[in-house]
Parts: sequence; C-alpha cells; structure tokens
Amino acid sequence: MADLIGVFGVTHNPLMWASLREKAPEDLTSVAANFDYFRSLVTELAPDVIVLVASDHFHMLMTATMPAFMIGKSPEMRAAYPNEARQFGLNPARIVGEPNLAAHLLGGRHLTSGIDFAFSDEPWLDHSFLIPLLLLTPRLDIPVIPIFTNCNAPPIPTSTRFAELGTYLDDAIRSFAGKQRVLVVGSGHLAHELGGPRQFLGTSPDPDFDRKAVSWMADGNLEEAIADTSFDRLTEAGNESYQFLNFITCLAAAEGRAATFAEGTTTRLGALPFFYWEML
Amino acid sequence: MSRYLVNKLMWEVDKSDEALAKFKADAGVFLDEWEARTQHPMPPYPEGGTLTVDERRAIESRDYGSLYGMGVNPFLLWQFARSISVPEGMSSEQLVAAFREAVEPHGFPDFFT
Repeated sequence: MADLIGVFGVTHNPLMWASLREKAPEDLTSVAANFDYFRSLVTELAPDVIVLVASDHFHMLMTATMPAFMIGKSPEMRAAYPNEARQFGLNPARIVGEPNLAAHLLGGRHLTSGIDFAFSDEPWLDHSFLIPLLLLTPRLDIPVIPIFTNCNAPPIPTSTRFAELGTYLDDAIRSFAGKQRVLVVGSGHLAHELGGPRQFLGTSPDPDFDRKAVSWMADGNLEEAIADTSFDRLTEAGNESYQFLNFITCLAAAEGRAATFAEGTTTRLGALPFFYWEML
Repeated sequence: MSRYLVNKLMWEVDKSDEALAKFKADAGVFLDEWEARTQHPMPPYPEGGTLTVDERRAIESRDYGSLYGMGVNPFLLWQFARSISVPEGMSSEQLVAAFREAVEPHGFPDFFT
C-alpha cells in the first residue's frame, strides 16, 4: 500500500517569492531559513508523489464554472500564467502528474462517497501551486497531484468540509495499491487581505488570528480550528484568509496530531505559515 | 447589478497581455468591443457581456471605490487595478495609497458570487 509520509503547510505569497529570488531581505531571512529546512525534509523523506492542496486565484477557474474541490489527473500540466510572469517574474513551467493515484483519489469508476470531486484532464497551475513547488522541489522533478479548493469565490466550503477532505486524503492515499511514498502539501495564508483597506499594512491584518491559528496546528487542536474558522471570522482576519482552510485539510490529513513544526513567520507581508507533521 | 460580468471583464484584462494592452490604449474602445462580443458567443464561455451604465463608467474612469462598493471580488479588483495602473500611471506605493483611500469608506461589502 502507498504511505503518507509527511504533511506540510506553507505560504505561496508571490511577493515573498519574488523577493527571495535575490538575496533574502532582512525580514525574510527566517522565511528563507524555513524553506531551507523544508527542502531538507523533502530530501530526507524522499517522496515519490506530492499531493498539493491549493486554491487557484481565478486563473484556471473563473466563476463561469467554480467547483468546490477538483483533482487534476493529467500526466503533465502547465504552470504559471502570463499575468504572473508580468507581475512576479514567474516563468512558465511544466509539472509531471501521477494519473493513477489521481484516479484512485477520485474514487475509480464512481466518485468517492466522501467528497464530490470535480476533475480536470488539463489542469493549469497558478502561483498557489507553483511557488511551493519551486521552493520545496526546485528541480520540479517529483510528480504532483493538484487538488484545487475554492477559497476565493463565496460560497466556499465550510471548515468541516476542508477537514473531511484531509481525512479522506489520509485514508485514500493509504488504501492505494502502490508503493508510493506520498507527501501532502497545503498551500495558503494566515490572516491576509488583498483588494481591501487592510492590504499592505506592513504587518498582519489580524495578529490574534495568526497566534491562534498557529497554536491549533502546534497543539493538534482540530476541533477548535474548525469551530473558529467560520466565513465571518475568516473575513474579519482579512478578505483572503479563507486559504487558511487548506491548512485545516493538512491538520486532518495528519490525523489531528500536534505539528512537529508550526510557525507564523513575521514579515512585512504579514505572518507567513510553515507547518510540518511527521507521519512516519 | 451584473457583478459577475464586471468580475469577468477585470479577469480578462488582467490575465491576457493582449487585452491589457488594448484596455490601456483606449478603455472605451475596448469596452465597446467587449460588449459587442456577446453577439458571437463561443463555447464554453460566452464572451463579453452587457454592463450597466454605472459599471461601465466606474471601469472606464478607474473608480475603484465604486467598484469595490458594488461588491466586485476584491482580489480581482486589485489585480485589475495594478495591471492597468502600474508602472505607467503610477508607482505601486502610490496605487496602494490611492486604492486604500478609495475603498476604505465602503468597509467590507458583500462579495458573494
């Protein structure tokens, strides 16, 4: 059977990524060090596949069609869009997929009874997928199964549904008749605002939320994480904070255990999340 | 109000280099062509759309406060604003300040789709 060997939760902030391409500015040295640590974990864990849970930012998916949860199941996929090249210097890339495990996660001939996944045979990944991959696996040489979650266009799934997604991934990965070592990576934010009055304040829009959010992961407190992340509470933390829900999926995939490493690293871009759960 | 259509227009302008260049060259001409595209829909996404007078005015005049107050998606609005304004019209810092001043009076409008 396949094995779930670890779970990560990391930032995909594109301004952070653009800054890290040069020598890390002072407020991002801890972020650069955390990515060094997470890269060393990838080397140590040696995953065969990465299941990457992230939220497309109206690149592949606009609201003409907006699934709640979608799995990309192609053998190869594009990454980065022209506006991301223009704005952040994020160049087009090709990512290798893992169609067999992706088909298994979808449920085979029938959809799984747990989650009504949509699917795509031609996924095109935006920066929410590509930036974690570039920072964790710079050679982009590990096959990826992208799971798109709707954290941008309300109505978004509840925190309970994000937890159910994580529990489902844990079970489904371990029931796959293969020998792959699978790493689950969640991509998202802590308190974050974009396009509202609290963007680019030089600090987090809600430090209290950040502290609690990191403690839920550090303590393995899935119950409180679910209870305190209603749509209204997340909006209060910032109008882009819904992507924190991807970390609830991570916590549930890690069976609600206390994270081995949990930090909201303070930067001028807000607190940037780093979570790691050891699973072996 | 046709919130979806405004979101879609901003999305198209931000995402496509060609659409962005056209919009920056002449927003009025771009909007005329965009609205005319509804006459020739191409699946899977019907193209273009018909905006209200207020929506068109707000887009054409880069009135980010009004658009935000209408409940367009804040993320799409910011991406659109940055793409059409920076760096030719103003610096990032100038846009951040002007944008904040424009949207702040509107608080947190409902942007449910």
